[in-house]
Amino acid sequence: MTHSTHYLQIEHLRKSFGSFTALDDISLAIKEGEFVCFLGPSGCGKTTLLRAIAGLELQEEGRIVQSDRDISTLPPQQRDFGIVFQSYALFPNLTVSENIAYGLANMKMPRGERQQRVKALLEQIDLPDIGNKYPGQLSGGQQQRVALARALATEPGLLLLDEPLSALDARVRLHLRQEICALQRKLGITTIMVTHDQDEALTMADRIVVMDHGRIAQIGTPEEIYQKPATEFVARFVGSMNLMPARVLGARSLMLGRKEVQTPMVLPACDEGTLGFRPESVQLLDGPWGVNRDENLLFEARLDQIQFMGPFVRLEMCLDEELPCVHVDVAVEQHAQLNASIGQSLWLSIPEKDLKFYPAQHLNQSKPGVSRTAPDMGLAAMQVAGA
Amino acid sequence: MSNTLTIAARRSFDSESWLQRLVISLGVLFLLLALLAPLLTMLVKSLQNGAGEFIGLHNFIAYFDNPALTQSILNSITIALWTTFIVVSIAFVFAYALTRSGMAGKKTFRLVTMLPLFAPSLLPALSMIYLFGNQGILKDWLPVESIYGPVGIVIGLSFWAFPHALMILITAFSNSDARLYEAAKSMKTPPWRVFLTVTLPSVRYGLINTIFVIFTLTITDFGVAKVIGGQYNVLATDIYKQVVGQQNFQMGAVVSVVLLLPALISFAVERRVQRRQSALLTSRAVPLQPQKSPLRDALLTLFCALVCGFLLLVIGMAVYASFITFWPYNMELSLNNYRFDMMDGGGWASYFNSLQMSAWTAVIGTAVVFLVAYMNEKIKLMPFARRLLQLLAMLPMAVPGIVLGLAYIFFFNHPDNPMNGIYGTMAILVLNTVVHFYTVCHLTATTSLKQIDNEFEAVSASLKVPFYTTLRRVTLPLALPSVLDISVYLFVNAMTTVSAVVFLYSSDTTLASVAVMHMDEAGDIAPAAAMAVLLMLTSLVAKGLHWMISHQILQRTQRWRQR
Repeated sequence: MTHSTHYLQIEHLRKSFGSFTALDDISLAIKEGEFVCFLGPSGCGKTTLLRAIAGLELQEEGRIVQSDRDISTLPPQQRDFGIVFQSYALFPNLTVSENIAYGLANMKMPRGERQQRVKALLEQIDLPDIGNKYPGQLSGGQQQRVALARALATEPGLLLLDEPLSALDARVRLHLRQEICALQRKLGITTIMVTHDQDEALTMADRIVVMDHGRIAQIGTPEEIYQKPATEFVARFVGSMNLMPARVLGARSLMLGRKEVQTPMVLPACDEGTLGFRPESVQLLDGPWGVNRDENLLFEARLDQIQFMGPFVRLEMCLDEELPCVHVDVAVEQHAQLNASIGQSLWLSIPEKDLKFYPAQHLNQSKPGVSRTAPDMGLAAMQVAGA
Repeated sequence: MSNTLTIAARRSFDSESWLQRLVISLGVLFLLLALLAPLLTMLVKSLQNGAGEFIGLHNFIAYFDNPALTQSILNSITIALWTTFIVVSIAFVFAYALTRSGMAGKKTFRLVTMLPLFAPSLLPALSMIYLFGNQGILKDWLPVESIYGPVGIVIGLSFWAFPHALMILITAFSNSDARLYEAAKSMKTPPWRVFLTVTLPSVRYGLINTIFVIFTLTITDFGVAKVIGGQYNVLATDIYKQVVGQQNFQMGAVVSVVLLLPALISFAVERRVQRRQSALLTSRAVPLQPQKSPLRDALLTLFCALVCGFLLLVIGMAVYASFITFWPYNMELSLNNYRFDMMDGGGWASYFNSLQMSAWTAVIGTAVVFLVAYMNEKIKLMPFARRLLQLLAMLPMAVPGIVLGLAYIFFFNHPDNPMNGIYGTMAILVLNTVVHFYTVCHLTATTSLKQIDNEFEAVSASLKVPFYTTLRRVTLPLALPSVLDISVYLFVNAMTTVSAVVFLYSSDTTLASVAVMHMDEAGDIAPAAAMAVLLMLTSLVAKGLHWMISHQILQRTQRWRQR
């Protein structure tokens, strides 16, 4: 076996439940000490992937290597990990201390040392005085922290978190995010967290694995995922994004609804696709003057609705009746300066680096042979996105 | 595909999963040997002649050519239909009164309705003799010629089946959603229309379920018809007469197959209905708070009082009669009838045999049921074996006791069966009783296990704690209340059952419930009533102990339940 710097390596993992494909040829490498989030909508396979790493589900094909040991077929007992579930799965008839010490009893650790360790863990999670309470007497956030302490008690090399925060209310969730991150950094433990909450993934992870229908849609740092979503799916799922169906007229010319626009970037060779940009990347102008069309996309739209969102104002603008309305986020002061009224026409300018174009996928899949001289579609999208 | 197999096969080198596989396999083997094999042997017997040669459907043709025998089919169905109609109608109103009215004294009414569960089914039949028999105190009230016959069977069965129907219907009525009633009220719907459009649909499945359960219970009953049936034959008593009276085992097997059919069909329908029920109630439903309504509540109180009065009358009559020295000539009270050693049926020894048998059944049965249910519910290995296990566990519900008993004779008394050593011992009685009452226990255990977090096993595995440690330290303590429920259910039923064990006792292992039947056969009705009362009292004491013990244990070990 070749030695590598990767702590966990997953190679060509495949798993299906009946006719449903949960994992479709998943390959992935995770570095030691890294915090990785599996992000995706429900049913995308993220939990199945986590459970396969834990040995709770058995893959049909593929290999899992953890710190140079092939664990593909080992039962969970023989793997090295700690796990926290969404339901906490704390034993309700045991006290907090007994819960945390549950795995230690098996390690033949002397009693005194065990108590010491439980005490240290309770301090680590900032709940030093709750050792004698039962889980039922704790709040949801406290229970989750106890579950974390229990998972860490046996000092595993890998921490698995299965939607650990989604059963908590918003305020506690924000607080626990920071706490888990801080603890993870302090211990330097390689951590994988499954979540469907993009904010959670963006704020906590070193790297995010976005999953869709049992496949990996994109792997990257939070910045990469947010700024350069590789596919339309990722763009849709992470953050808010204006996505407009478009017909390609030429290398730099698009048909948006019934309007033709000139694009600053060179479009890939295809017939149809989706143009995307984030609401905060738009600059609003009174007129088309002074904008370089080689660097910016420029078009006119009618202001339909104004929504006050607190820190910013969201404008709903109509480019064409056939298209979904365009969202534009502007800061509150800027909106006051703009002094726009409903029904008024404004010009929208979006810089080239913030524009994404995704060629329609069905074309790519149904006729793979007719891709002309164009490079691979996915690659094209990446290039367009400014990669 | 081959890849899948190799990965799955390469796994399993750890001793823990082998242990789990072993227990699941043993569970399947247990049910195969103690349930399926005897039933199949009986099927084969029904196709053989007395010498054991295969004769095809000859026995069945002989059976259907004999009008005296086929009449029993009609009789059984008549009895079952009437009893089902009476019991379900009364239980429906009673359950409505307990759950949806502002009636006072609900707890007392509920307690009284539980009493029949603790009596052997022979007890109401004996009571009928004292109430409406030839020298009965209420003989003049009886609209028909004689209580010995269909009327007696229907009344006796109604008494015995009532609590079963009430239990299911109370559950059905408890699943109410107050929001629907508020919505109906806000639209100014008259009460009768609310009943038809909201109440009735919400209990629909429970009602259908009850009808099938009661039909199955009554068509398969043996005890009541045996005591009070007189010349009116039903299928269950036919089996007994063929086997014990005429030693015609083949015909006994044929009648058993005939009796098994309606029970199996009714059971299959009931399971199907049950499966649909679950999605009916959403977790956001708001439970209904019953409102007071003086006139309705008064009428319902009267109704419930009448029903409870009847139940108490039946029990009271049996208790009273058991203390009468010599009915109706010497009405002085004495304990003469409790001197069982002077009578047929094995005397006091049979009572202690019953106690011993029930205790073993409770202990062994609970352990087996819980372990098998645990493996089935929490361990994800061997999906095919577990599905088979689930199916087999549901089957005993559909097998009439008397059929199971006869099947045991065929299977365990066969000279070639290596297990025939247990024939005529206490062991076969315990085995038979455990299997006879397996389904309800299995469902109880499964329900309580389903409420326990499924990730406990995964967490334990991640902490390198073997599954049996978690079973002992966590799962078992959490499921303790239902474990105790199962054990007392098994004890009470082992105490009172007649049908299955009537073929299986030997002179060393006579049982009290069978003794009741034999004393009644010999004309010693008063001692029979005395024994039946004693059995009921024992069951009640067991239930009382169960209540006290579970209360104590829960107080001490379940501190975590308090918030």
